[in-house]
Amino acid sequence: MGNFDLLMHGFSVAITPMHLMLMVAGVLMGLVVGVLPGLGAPNGVSLLIPLTFALDPTSAIILLSSMYWGALFGGSTTSILFNIPGEPSSVATTFDGYPMARNGESTRALTLAFVSSGIGALMGIMVITLLAGWASQFALRFGAPEYFAVYFLAFAAFIGMGSAAPMKTLVSLTAGLILASVGMDSVTGSIRLTYGFSDLLGGVSFLVVVIGLFGIGELLATVQEGLRFRGVSSKIDLRDVLKTLAELPKYWATMLRSGMIGIWMGITPGGPTAASFMSYGVARQASRKGAAFGTGRPEGIVAPETADHSAGTCAMLPMLALGVPSSATAAVMMGGLMIWGLTPGPMLFATQPDFVWGLIASMYVSNLLGVILVLATVPMFAALLRIPFTIIGPMIVAICFVGAYTVGSATFDLWVVLVFGIVGFMFTKLDYPLAPMILAMVLGHKAENAFHQSMLLSDGSLGIFFANPLVTGIMIVALALLILPKTLGLALSLRRNRKVVA
Amino acid sequence: MTIKTALIAGTAVLAATIPALAEWAPQRPVEFVVASGAGGGTDNFARTIQAALTRNDILDQNMVVLNKGGGSGAEAFLYARQNAADPHKLIFGTNNVYLLPHVAQLAYSAEDLQPVAALALDEFLIWVKADAPWQTSMELIEAAKAEPGTIVFGGSQSKDTDETLVALIEQTTGADFKYIPFNGGGEVGVQLAGGHVAANVNNPNENIGQWQAGAIRPLCVFSPQRMAESEPVNGDMGWHDIPTCAEQGLDIERYQMPRTVWLPAGTDPEVVAYYEDALSRVAETQEWQDYLAKTSQTAAVLTGDDLTAFIEENEAATVTVFEAEGWVTAAAQ
Amino acid sequence: MTVKRFQAEIGTAITTGALGVAAIVGAAELGTGWSDHGPQAGYFPFWVAIVLIGASLWNLGGAIAAHRKAQRTPPDPLDDPEEPFLPRDHLIRVAGFLGAMTAFVIGMLTVGFYVAATLYIGLTAWRQGGFRLWVGLAIGAGFAVSLYLIFETIFQIPLLKGPLEPLLGIY
Repeated sequence: MGNFDLLMHGFSVAITPMHLMLMVAGVLMGLVVGVLPGLGAPNGVSLLIPLTFALDPTSAIILLSSMYWGALFGGSTTSILFNIPGEPSSVATTFDGYPMARNGESTRALTLAFVSSGIGALMGIMVITLLAGWASQFALRFGAPEYFAVYFLAFAAFIGMGSAAPMKTLVSLTAGLILASVGMDSVTGSIRLTYGFSDLLGGVSFLVVVIGLFGIGELLATVQEGLRFRGVSSKIDLRDVLKTLAELPKYWATMLRSGMIGIWMGITPGGPTAASFMSYGVARQASRKGAAFGTGRPEGIVAPETADHSAGTCAMLPMLALGVPSSATAAVMMGGLMIWGLTPGPMLFATQPDFVWGLIASMYVSNLLGVILVLATVPMFAALLRIPFTIIGPMIVAICFVGAYTVGSATFDLWVVLVFGIVGFMFTKLDYPLAPMILAMVLGHKAENAFHQSMLLSDGSLGIFFANPLVTGIMIVALALLILPKTLGLALSLRRNRKVVA
Repeated sequence: MTIKTALIAGTAVLAATIPALAEWAPQRPVEFVVASGAGGGTDNFARTIQAALTRNDILDQNMVVLNKGGGSGAEAFLYARQNAADPHKLIFGTNNVYLLPHVAQLAYSAEDLQPVAALALDEFLIWVKADAPWQTSMELIEAAKAEPGTIVFGGSQSKDTDETLVALIEQTTGADFKYIPFNGGGEVGVQLAGGHVAANVNNPNENIGQWQAGAIRPLCVFSPQRMAESEPVNGDMGWHDIPTCAEQGLDIERYQMPRTVWLPAGTDPEVVAYYEDALSRVAETQEWQDYLAKTSQTAAVLTGDDLTAFIEENEAATVTVFEAEGWVTAAAQ
Repeated sequence: MTVKRFQAEIGTAITTGALGVAAIVGAAELGTGWSDHGPQAGYFPFWVAIVLIGASLWNLGGAIAAHRKAQRTPPDPLDDPEEPFLPRDHLIRVAGFLGAMTAFVIGMLTVGFYVAATLYIGLTAWRQGGFRLWVGLAIGAGFAVSLYLIFETIFQIPLLKGPLEPLLGIY
């Protein structure tokens, strides 16, 4: 049977009234956990696992994966409306999504986000459908040096060209790297920078820091201006939705590029969060009006959302085919797989076709359901913004702190939120960019581990990063992204100066 | 001898009646504190027990799973110390509970936790890539002796069970391997299948997928007996067909990792007895048998003195390896 | 007295620099060199911290230089380091909000999340929103109950509880 026949078989497995019900239920629950900061898809999925013991594995994975898609959609809603990323992978959506909403175009921002994530998901699933075997072979070629090269590329793509002051970017980046190295270092096994505080043993949670920096930081900025939300128009007009749909084809290049980045990062170990940052960075570099990013550019929403969702869907592939989860949620689902008695690995596609193709087929359906359901929730969220700030403000504060608490059930995290709320407020006011700090916290320790593992492999020789065509290729692209924008900018300005002189 | 048997039988009867006499039962939801992240081996262990307890009506209170995997699980054990004498918190771990304090300076010691039961032993095997030249563990070791420090073992984490086992092999045989820590057994399995490392010592369920696919193969298992009979996994090879390492002449009789359940120290003996009883009943459920079969772990229900003796032996043996490697922290010495 | 923008810049630069110093102290305990097995545990934190301190010093110098320049020449109206960082009325609002938030956190730790959230939301609505006290408290209680249903009933995640909940039979 070809992949197409298998997919059709998958649809016959996936589309039953029972499964459609599970998909709707999963997406709706996912929206709830996605909207609540801190309580993310990984928590949500792991909480549902006990419920799935009563289901057969195919139904169970459909429920869990639908919840994941729902969470990915829901995470963008609060990013755009409140500047609070509901999911780590929607941090990059805040950069242009929130400014656009503040310009009074919240419907446009939300529609752009949802539809482009739907398209991203579709691209991801198509790759899984057509290239499952090839893609999992490709993932096998990634050893420690290749991992490092990928992380380095993510940094380079994002950092290469920022509009903020370089030294302030550097402060933000290095502070994030230091925060990321707190806790147990898995390569050396030593406990770092905890200064004897047991609360720091597990490290500084990136999720908790994001809630502080963005959620509380933004609320402080709002309060400074006055006790109401800043200019967010809450009118939802169906015509706005349609108008936005009509403008979408303009961004086909951004979508295609971001989808490819997402697919790659989903299959290899980057994950959705890295994908969304990298894609945002690349979109900014590719745009001729690069400087306008961060002020509500549509590409700034389309790029991270497409990449985030295509990476999220593609992360299922290495999980199923190799037993390596490239996102936290996939890790939890893999645990479920083992409890249901399925063995992730190259043979799963051959031994469990109903399960694998049922899941793949369900991904088409549940992502479509996701787009529709999440669009339906927009008026509800918009209505939230009409509630007086003196009531909704404290509620958001309460949800931020609860969300942070649920990340690790640690009271220490409540203080972390408070401190980083102030940091977020100060940094934003003084034009320190927050994104490099977040990126460093997500990838810093992983990059360091991969570097360290490579050094162990090569006995300390940096040559290992140029040892084969794959790793050399990624390193060269990364170095080019890091150096070229600066030198090009310099060359251009030199030429302009010369013209002036001439 | 008859007296002795009668005595033993007598104590057994007595022991069996204690839970019935002691009227303790959980009064509120029980927290399952898991010393690993969601999806990890310990997490699956705890969630299987949760399912078995619920479905068989052994424990009729809600059970809430909390993942505290920070610091290789130390976070969960510190949490136990902070909640001393709380009978509504069960801590799920491996031998890391009593081994971690030896290699890292931590604000808890093994005395802060009360062992309740060990329910399974996870096996360790030597795995190599399918097309590797070595057919037995001794061939691999001879190769490492011929070219010291060139054959790469991948493992999960540093100074954890995997690195300890590799160190033990080195100390036993005099071979010299290169050890590289990754994050989690699944990742190590793929590193091996992709040929980025030469061998690993993964647990069965971490590598079964790649073995099924014929990308890697096992050399031997560190167990006194061969593993239980099973369906064939690759070709006509099943788990039982894998020779033990001792059979192949590698002088390590056993190296297994217990899956353990603990309470915070300071609870009443009735509380411990209640959970010992509940967990022993879990071990008889169908859910538990399925879990053992699927993850290819060895059944081993240990409670009371048996458990204490096992822990003492396991701890002493492992600390010997730690000392020889110079991993023991200043504080623990 | 009001905090001026350049003073806020200086304060932030000193804080980020201090983080760097703290990291160097922590890294020094672990070894910051390069052993036979690649970098030691403190290698990365150490060098990253050096960069952080360098960048912080640069920002510190920049803020002081801008301040000096602004005193000598008429300031750029768009980017004046001498303008107040927070005007007085803004400062009062932000401080009030932060204070209430801190009280809420302390409340969470002592009387539990549900009671603290009810009081926090209720009192804010009353003091700042002009709602009647009982209306505010009712809104807060409704919010607390709905979070209880979402977290503890649907997702089975226990939130922080105080002395009140056990009396109601909620653990």
